Amino acid sequence: MAIVETSKLARMFESKTGSVVALEGVDLQVGEGEVFGLLGPNGAGKTTLIRILSTLLMPTSGNATVAGYDVATQPEKVRPIINMASGSERAGYEFISARGNLWFFSQLYGISSRVFRERVSALSSQLELDGYMDKKVYQLSTGYRQRMTIARAFINDPKVVFMDEPTIALDVMTARRIREFLANQAKESKRTIFLATHNMAETEAICNRVAIIDRGKILVCESPDYLKRKYGTPAFVMEVTPPPNSLDIFASIEGVKGVTSTLDEERGVARVKFVLENEEAVAKIINAAASKMKLLSSWRQEPTLEEVFVNLVGRGFAEREMETAG
Amino acid sequence: MYSRAWVRVQSTFGEPLWLAVNLAVPLLSSLAMALLYASAGISKYTGFAILGGIMLAFWGNVLWSMASQFNWDKEEGIFEIYLVSPAPITAILVGMSLGGILATVPSAALVALIGWVFFSASINPSWIAIFLTFILALASLYAMGMLMSSLYLAYGREAESLNSAFAEPINFLSGLYFPSIGIGSPFPFALQVAASLIPLTIGMDALRKSVFYAGNVAAVGVDLVILAVMAVVLLFLGDRALKALENRGRRQGTLVVRLR
Repeated sequence: MAIVETSKLARMFESKTGSVVALEGVDLQVGEGEVFGLLGPNGAGKTTLIRILSTLLMPTSGNATVAGYDVATQPEKVRPIINMASGSERAGYEFISARGNLWFFSQLYGISSRVFRERVSALSSQLELDGYMDKKVYQLSTGYRQRMTIARAFINDPKVVFMDEPTIALDVMTARRIREFLANQAKESKRTIFLATHNMAETEAICNRVAIIDRGKILVCESPDYLKRKYGTPAFVMEVTPPPNSLDIFASIEGVKGVTSTLDEERGVARVKFVLENEEAVAKIINAAASKMKLLSSWRQEPTLEEVFVNLVGRGFAEREMETAG
Repeated sequence: MYSRAWVRVQSTFGEPLWLAVNLAVPLLSSLAMALLYASAGISKYTGFAILGGIMLAFWGNVLWSMASQFNWDKEEGIFEIYLVSPAPITAILVGMSLGGILATVPSAALVALIGWVFFSASINPSWIAIFLTFILALASLYAMGMLMSSLYLAYGREAESLNSAFAEPINFLSGLYFPSIGIGSPFPFALQVAASLIPLTIGMDALRKSVFYAGNVAAVGVDLVILAVMAVVLLFLGDRALKALENRGRRQGTLVVRLR
């Protein structure tokens, strides 16, 4: 049963320069206990969708429900069972301890002090916040502050948690720790995590399904592996020496869609990347290389979600963000 | 409600600079006025100045910590946490008010202590009337602060300019340091009527009667009723305004300041 559903959801904003369509015809169904990724470049509509689902914003048309309650007309029914956190959030009273802040935010949900103590102890342990709970918020580093923010988002034992870029600007270890926490929460507590991000690695690491969004529209919605198999481009890479003068010997091989080469001058090695139509081309490539040069190493390169996006849209994230900003 | 009051108290006493400002502003203002009256030979008004300083502490808290708090919360991302939670916004504001009152008591007490020690103002109190007037004056002042906080939701940072623009005229009209209505008022009748629309004016007048002229409950009864009505009406209007502005913000997409 879907816990989050949208049907032809749309949102338009009026500005001095005209109307901006932030979301258009969004149809989604997210199940209980799912880690659902919403992947797209900046300005794609991810935050707008999260704001609608978390009752901060009304849709212009269409509808959305959380646990069967309409987010536009029944926000009072939705709010007790959701929570949200954002990576750019600085929410917290600076001169109060992390524990004090979490206690205050727990009171917004009417949680008793006994239940609060149990929950904060578990969350603190899972997020490795022990030892920092009694520090004032201004004394916490960015990483620990974000861990506190994540703890806040789970303090009311929500059924659905909306996360908007939760690991942005965090170091690798902290980001990994948070991802592990989110994945465990979904698996063990059957909590639905709705994760908006433009971080491919994050999406591939923990999301059961991913919706790729661009210019307010959902392009596809499937598991990361399925998307990569269907829309990604597998590649074969080899390092050879001496670097080939021309790539024509490879380009003409049946099954090779494209070939590029980069040169490591210091080592005198060329890294040649092949975009393949089929796996049978690999053996032919190796034979062709062996006849003219020495093969140092080779490996398969899995398609990435960015390639999926490029294949669907025709542009990468960076180019799309520049277009949106322009 | 209780938790938001706790946050307000903790934050105020956790910020030494803010605490110092909270103590210094009403103290220096009232001492300046008291010295002015004393040097002009109007010693009976030095007590008025000290009483004004006590109420200025609370009025300043209403203006700068209550009314503009939501704008600061919006900029810090805390306001959207309030909205996404099931807690009523009005309850949060009431908690903020209670916390604000508690956090301001030290400033007010310091003004009272220093003022009375240095100027030896004579008082003729009716304590029950003082207590009731004080409670109802604060209730109506903070209810006004709740209504003003809805302006901040609507206009954001522009409302800070409104705050600055209105602070001094209200301080002047409300009679913080001299009677602005009734006996002793230098204002024409029409201006006195306008000044009477401000809860602080009614509160100050009733407090002067009960502190300096032994005005008992009967003597300030009309003022008490007016303050009670103001508190209820302003609380009602504040609640309505907040709900209307929240809905407008949800429709227009202006509830959250930060854009990503």
